Formats: sequence, C-alpha cells, structure tokens
Amino acid sequence: MSSMSSMDHFWLVIFCAIVAFIPRFFPLLFFTKRKIPEWFNEWMRFVPVSLFTALVVKSVFIDSKYQIMTSGNLGMIISAILVGVIAYRTRSMTLSVVVGLVSVMIFVLVLHI
Amino acid sequence: MKKNEPNWLMVLRTVMPLGLSYIPIGLACGVLLHAAGFNHLLTALISVMVFSGGAQFLIASMLTINAPMTTIILMMFFLELRYALLGSSLSRYLKGQPLPFIFAFAFSMNDENYAVNYLKFATDKHWQPKQALLVEHYSLLFWTVSNIIGSLIGSALTINLSVVDFALTALFIYMAIMQTKSRLTILVCALSGVLTISFLVWMKSTLGLVVATLLASFAGYFVERHLLAHKPESHLLYTIHDPTRPLDEEADK
Repeated sequence: MSSMSSMDHFWLVIFCAIVAFIPRFFPLLFFTKRKIPEWFNEWMRFVPVSLFTALVVKSVFIDSKYQIMTSGNLGMIISAILVGVIAYRTRSMTLSVVVGLVSVMIFVLVLHI
Repeated sequence: MKKNEPNWLMVLRTVMPLGLSYIPIGLACGVLLHAAGFNHLLTALISVMVFSGGAQFLIASMLTINAPMTTIILMMFFLELRYALLGSSLSRYLKGQPLPFIFAFAFSMNDENYAVNYLKFATDKHWQPKQALLVEHYSLLFWTVSNIIGSLIGSALTINLSVVDFALTALFIYMAIMQTKSRLTILVCALSGVLTISFLVWMKSTLGLVVATLLASFAGYFVERHLLAHKPESHLLYTIHDPTRPLDEEADK
C-alpha cells in the first residue's frame, strides 16, 4: 500500500496527464500545419515496428532492475513466439491477446517456468 | 460492407476487437490501481486523462514500491515520449483539421487506437479524421469502464502480475506483426531487439527504449534508401505475404 494520500494521487494523475499530453499534441500539431519532408515519412514507416519490438523485448527479457532475465521467462518467450504465429496466421487482435494470456497462464501458473 | 450501415456502427465494428481486448487488460489495471491505493474516482480520472495501459501499469507498480512522485513523473515522461513519434506519423492524414480537433485527437491517442487508425488510414481511402476520433472515444469508453469495474472488483481478485502484463505484450506483438511489410522490417525488428536489451541494461532507464527505437528506425530508413538507389532487386525489399489474403489480390495493391 502506498503512503500517499488521495490528494497526492490526484496531483500525480494531473502531472502524468500533462506529461502524457505534451508528446501527443505538439508533434501532431506541428506536422499538420507544415509539409512533412519526404525523408520523415520514409523514416516513420520504421518507427512503430521498432517501438513495438522494443516494448516486447523489454517485457520479455528485461526485469524491473534493468538486468537481462536469465530464468523464469521461458514461458513468456514460448508464449510470445506463439502469439507471433497466431497474429501472422489470423491477423486477429483478440485471438492473439487471448491465446497469449491463456498460454502464459498455463506456463507461469501451472508449469512454473 | 453493408451499404446503409450507420457511421457509428461501422466505426464500432472497426474498434470492437480492440475494445474487447481492452476488457481483460482494463479490469486488471483497475485491480492493480486499487491495490496501489487509488479510489474508484481517481481510477476513472487516470483512465480518461492518461489513457495508456503501459503508463497506468507502471504508475500502479511504482506506487506499490513507494517511489517518490518526481521519479514516477519522470518515468512517465520517458514512457510517453514515444507518442511524439506516433503522433507525427499520423499527422499527414490530419492535415487541415482545426486546432480543437487536433487537441481532442492528441488527448485520447494511445498505442492501440493509433495502430487501428494508422492501419485504417493506410488501407482505406475513405477513412475520415472524424471516424478516427470516434475510434479513440470508443476505445476510451471500453478502457475506462473496464478500469472502473476492475477497481470495484478490487481486492476480491488475486491476479498474477506477470500474467496480466503479458496481455499488453501480446498486443504489442500483434501490432509489430501487422506493421511488418518487407523482409527489411524483420531485420529492423531484430536490430531493435538487440539495441533495446543493450541500452536498457546500460542506461538503467526506459529512455533506452527511445534510443533503441530511434537507432533501429533510422537504420531501417538508411538501408532502404541505399537499397532503392543501388540494389533495387535486393531480396530485403520483398514484401511479406499476408496469409489471410490470396496472392493475386496483394499484387493489385
């Protein structure tokens, strides 16, 4: 349980909302007013895929102390591969998420790997 | 597609898979925020104002380890910085929209509805900015309601953190696969993975994610430009086959 009061939590939400809003708003505003250079568009085709991979790799291979996980993540690795195959074959977001959750549940909670 | 289908229903159908996958994640997030000491009202507020699964999970887990407020906000800044990249990649589809629209659109944009809208804008010529905003508001509704219900369920449920976190991971895997258009993209993914591990371990901060993303995407851009100019027949530029479509349909694109 946290030692902060609800008022602290309220201000935390407000500050986090501001911090979340700034990078969502200003780049969007800037580039709807000006012509985007061609190189920027070409580059942007590689940004989402790099970011999503980075987020996946972080949650599967890196622990909360920023060290490489050497044990306890085998179930997640296998589940991640399974989700990748399901996503590629079916192109269904719901199916990918549900299969991933069930798979990791079996590996982590039942098989303990 | 049915011809006389009203707009709100058509958009709702587009957003439905996302909305449904938000329910288990939102429920779990509500439970975690409750465990971190958030009341129902605050959980509703953060779901609307921050509207980011990753951010809310991070806030919940940092509150439970009693991290100071400044640290949490700084972490938030680095985590949310990625939206600068997402926002600017959508901007070419939102040209000429008035400021209040851009404001509202930016306010409710997140990874998942960005992916839905980016895919729609890229593949559907008739997709309108107003419909994109509606996608955001539908997903916001699904997310907030799921969070509130999760908060209400609260301590009645015990949920394994690593299992719940994986819902988000599965979502990101799906989105990465959907973005994989050429063989070169696979190479960029691999590079991004290696860079992510290196920079996270070295920098000990989520800023490593930003650095890895920037480097991998620039590498992809420069390699593609080089190949198009010097080796246009390179097998790295081959497109990836979408298994749910017949081959001849893809050739028409």
